[in-house]
Amino acid sequence: MAKTRFRDRTYRQQLARGPVDLPFLMLVLLLTGIGLITVFSASFGSAYYENGDPSMYFRSQLRMAIGGVLIMWLASRLDYQILRRLAKWGLIGSFILLLMVKVPGIGVTAKGANRWIRILGVRFQPSEIAKVGVIVYFSAKLAARDPEKKRKWNPKMGLGRVLNFLERIGFMELLPYMGILLLMAALLLWEPHMSGTILILAGGAAVLFAGGIHWGWFAAGGAVLVPGLWFIMNHTNYMASRLATWRDPWSDPRDAGWQTIQSLYAIGSGGLLGKGFGKSMQKFLYLPEEHNDFIFSIWCEEMGFIGAVVVIILFVLLILRGYWLALHARDKFGALLIVGIITLTAVQVFLNIGVVTNFIPPTGISLPFFSYGGTALMIQLGEMGIVLSVSRQIEAPRLG
Amino acid sequence: MAREREDRDGKSKAQERVDDRHNKRRVFWRTVLLMVLFGAVAFVPLVGRLYQLQIVQHEELQEKAADQQTRDLSVSADRGTIYDSEGNILAMSATVQNLILSPKDLNAAIEENDEKIAAGKKANPNLNQAFVAQGLSQITGLDAEKIIERMGRTNSQYEVLYRKMENDMSERVRAFIADNKLGNGVYLEPDSKRYYPYASLASTVIGFTGSENQGLYGTEYVYDEALSGVSGRVLTAKNGWGTEMLSQYENYIDAQDGRDHHLTINATIQGFAEKALEEGIEKYDVQNGGFCIVMDPNTAAILAMASNGGYDLNSPFEIFDPDEAFRLEEMKADPAVDEETYKGELSKAQWAQWTNRCVNDTYEPGSTFKSMVVAAALEEGVVDLNTQFYCSGSKQVAGFTIHCSKREGHGAQDLTMAVQNSCNPAFIEIGQRLGAEKFYDYMEDFGFLSYTGVDLNGENKGRVWDRDFFESAEGAASLATASFGQTFRITPIQLITAACSVVNGGHLMVPHVLDYTTDAEGNVVDTVPVTEVRQVISEQTSATVRELLEQVVGAPKGTGKNAYQPGYRIGGKTGTSEKIGADQNEDDYIVSFLGVAPANDPKVVILLAYDTPKPSYPGSSWTASGTYISGGNMAAPMAGPLLRQILDYMGVEKQYSAAELSGADSTVPSLVGYDEATAASECKRLGYTYRKIGDGAAVTGQIPAAGAVLPAGSEVLIYMGERAPTDPVEVPDLAGKTPDQTKQALAAVNLYMRGSGSAQYFTSGTLCATQSIPAGAMVDPGTVVDVTFVENITDYRPE
Repeated sequence: MAKTRFRDRTYRQQLARGPVDLPFLMLVLLLTGIGLITVFSASFGSAYYENGDPSMYFRSQLRMAIGGVLIMWLASRLDYQILRRLAKWGLIGSFILLLMVKVPGIGVTAKGANRWIRILGVRFQPSEIAKVGVIVYFSAKLAARDPEKKRKWNPKMGLGRVLNFLERIGFMELLPYMGILLLMAALLLWEPHMSGTILILAGGAAVLFAGGIHWGWFAAGGAVLVPGLWFIMNHTNYMASRLATWRDPWSDPRDAGWQTIQSLYAIGSGGLLGKGFGKSMQKFLYLPEEHNDFIFSIWCEEMGFIGAVVVIILFVLLILRGYWLALHARDKFGALLIVGIITLTAVQVFLNIGVVTNFIPPTGISLPFFSYGGTALMIQLGEMGIVLSVSRQIEAPRLG
Repeated sequence: MAREREDRDGKSKAQERVDDRHNKRRVFWRTVLLMVLFGAVAFVPLVGRLYQLQIVQHEELQEKAADQQTRDLSVSADRGTIYDSEGNILAMSATVQNLILSPKDLNAAIEENDEKIAAGKKANPNLNQAFVAQGLSQITGLDAEKIIERMGRTNSQYEVLYRKMENDMSERVRAFIADNKLGNGVYLEPDSKRYYPYASLASTVIGFTGSENQGLYGTEYVYDEALSGVSGRVLTAKNGWGTEMLSQYENYIDAQDGRDHHLTINATIQGFAEKALEEGIEKYDVQNGGFCIVMDPNTAAILAMASNGGYDLNSPFEIFDPDEAFRLEEMKADPAVDEETYKGELSKAQWAQWTNRCVNDTYEPGSTFKSMVVAAALEEGVVDLNTQFYCSGSKQVAGFTIHCSKREGHGAQDLTMAVQNSCNPAFIEIGQRLGAEKFYDYMEDFGFLSYTGVDLNGENKGRVWDRDFFESAEGAASLATASFGQTFRITPIQLITAACSVVNGGHLMVPHVLDYTTDAEGNVVDTVPVTEVRQVISEQTSATVRELLEQVVGAPKGTGKNAYQPGYRIGGKTGTSEKIGADQNEDDYIVSFLGVAPANDPKVVILLAYDTPKPSYPGSSWTASGTYISGGNMAAPMAGPLLRQILDYMGVEKQYSAAELSGADSTVPSLVGYDEATAASECKRLGYTYRKIGDGAAVTGQIPAAGAVLPAGSEVLIYMGERAPTDPVEVPDLAGKTPDQTKQALAAVNLYMRGSGSAQYFTSGTLCATQSIPAGAMVDPGTVVDVTFVENITDYRPE
């Protein structure tokens, strides 16, 4: 195919060749860079003592980060409109991958859960893919939504009348989304993967909310979820003991409370200015998952309150810029894509920092751009690539 | 309804645009809502939480974190040595070993060994719990079964099997550990142990330490901090596995060894004092022990301090007194006595032997207190040496009749005689002349109302009336009894400290047992200053009292005459005090003697007391062995030789009075053929001392020969199983020699001296002028040489 000259391209093609949003790109690269060096520092202790190679985790993460930035670049070059067509297949693919965790030989069991699969030597969590799959599919569907166009059933039959009523209040429209989310949640809870479930529900709900689904349904969802959660928290032994540890980690300091206590020690001993980069003591086999879910604690110990706030500000700027891009997106599909991806990222950051500071009950959620885990980082950067891709098609503000 | 219709009809283009705009606006605002929520609101509480943790709770969390991250090993400091004033070691620390069992490591080692055996590899075929326990049991004498029981505590890594193991045993344990490669399972850990080379000597002063080497009693307790030194620390960072991370962080704080403490206590003098105490207790059948303090009056340095029988500092918890130990053993074995009672009794006995009566307990000083009363009266000028007293045998005070110790009365007497007689009515009068107010002032000034500040633990102080009562009309009887030292209680250390001030020129000093401390290199770190509290009486008064006290001992009828030792100028005051208290018998007495010597220039003051000599029957004033119970009859005869020993040891030059030097001559009888005891009593009867040469059963020879006329106080040589030398000896040249030197020069060649001269006391200023046999003449051993002395008057000429 001959290369068309710029002026010969269609308006759409021209748009897709626009510049990426530089502030957003810079924030992503900055966070990835800080995340990388934090992995180096945080993983030093366990890499040295457990593997005898202090830079082992860092080198692996570095390679994946380079790969991730490449993927981000590729994704940003891509015209995101093609995702509309791929959305259905992405969703189906997500379901297949989620099922594969239970397939012997492909699924990997770790710590009593099947969250991982290994295909062609690449190990990753299907839930990471599924998050994107759901967001893309929901965005595509909702972008094509016409709230005024209602389906009709034969009102002469009783069922038809009920269906018509449900259609009118918007329930029938919601049904497939709910079905997808519930099925996916069920698959994830089967793994089990609580934090993955939360994130997928949050991402999906954000897209539905921004997509214009009546707020009453969210209120209703909340009305069901909150008492349900309350019941689970108070009436199941597993959750109750977990909550007790949350309220007072020192009630079981050597066992259940250990990780939380060690995290608080790390954060607390950082003080205002921190111990200085690389000077963490808690990373030396005290704090479990120190280069993973609890990497932020090590950052806080080394860089202090100032450093912690700086990273939070960077995340906040990234999130705000992301939503700003959504507001200015060329079409509803692009806007919803960004809302889904950014909300997902924001929830993940909130939950991670909430857990490490013992602000919310513990659940295993990694910190985007920081936590060690190559495939997750690559997928995150890929998601950022999608956001950048959307940003390229924003119309330049008219001058004058 | 309208909407429905429109739907059916199809929307207009305009309507569609409106809907689209609504739709777009809805997406817009909902995105803004999410933006506010997730881009700002959600992070506010997180920053708040971080502030809480990193700023508010920072210190607390950091401390806890540092706690788990650092290993803090303490490096023990060596405890300082305690020396006596001559540099003899009274207490020292030596390294010993604690035997530690780590069941966890031992069991792991055994398991590993078993696996090796199973795999057919080279291993120790003997290694098992029973073998190790048996081996350790054989070396240490511990019960093997108990060791196995301890091995059962599989989670433990630190079980102390044996504390403070001495070197020979620990060497064998070390070999056993090495032979069987027990490594971390059984190991030795250094510790230190306190040794007291003199065992019971000065035990109540030195005190002892506990299992953690902390001072528990006496000097060990009072100076614990300086003796302990400062433990060093090694702070190392450790990781979560507990492994030290040497590259991370390390901090050494060197241990600072404890100071060596040099006491004023002199082991030799202490030995004399304890022996005198012990002998008296034996001799007079004393029921409650006694106490003895020897002090340098000029500095208030305590040279010796003994209390009851003391105890073995190397095992302070064992009952030292054999009778008491036997009684407790019987009690323990007696099934009728329950455990509680036994333990109570044991503890009581332990406290009793640890108690330093000289500072911990109070007693009624009795007549020894009169030294202070007469000093106060002389100082105030209410009496002088010519003041006349009359004693009818009793005196009426405030309706009470107070008897003198001599019921028939001393009659008319001057002050010197009143002191010599220790006459109670005379002293009541002296007290009355002083008046209650002045009397109380002096009680205060002599320190009877306050602590002396001696550096020993648990110091007590006097139980004395309060001033208001004492000065009131109701206090008149108290003033009377206080005048002869009864019905109030003070500590022995208070009494002797006050007595020192009476004889040293009036200076009340702070008594002390510590002289100075040194560091490991021997440099003096701290010196205890000689501290004067106040001057109580003048030098002049002090000199007068010294003369009075010398008369008490020196005068032929003085109450202290039994303490008299020729050549030593001993002064003193006896005391016989009733013990008043609910649990005391009426005839329980404390007999005491307060001695000072030499009286003209005091070098040493002693207080020797025996508590409750046993009367032959209740109410009797005599002991079963026929000694009248009084300070003059019991304490004084023990105190005289004690002072002589101390002064000899200190090298204080003897001073003889003219009368002493001429002595009463006697004819030496023949002692040949008698056994030692008979010869000794014969010598004593004639006023001689004797020295035994040889080990035979009977006397085979003597110097001087029978029939020689010899001055009293000379030393007769008794040869037991040896022939007395008969070869003539050469008379030495005595010109210019002092009396003491003269006596020694003659004694060296077995010759005797009969001195004469004009001076009352012959001191170093008195020199030999003539000798009856010229120097160089050959005479028989035992010959008496007459020597005359003259006072050597020194002219002080300005240069």
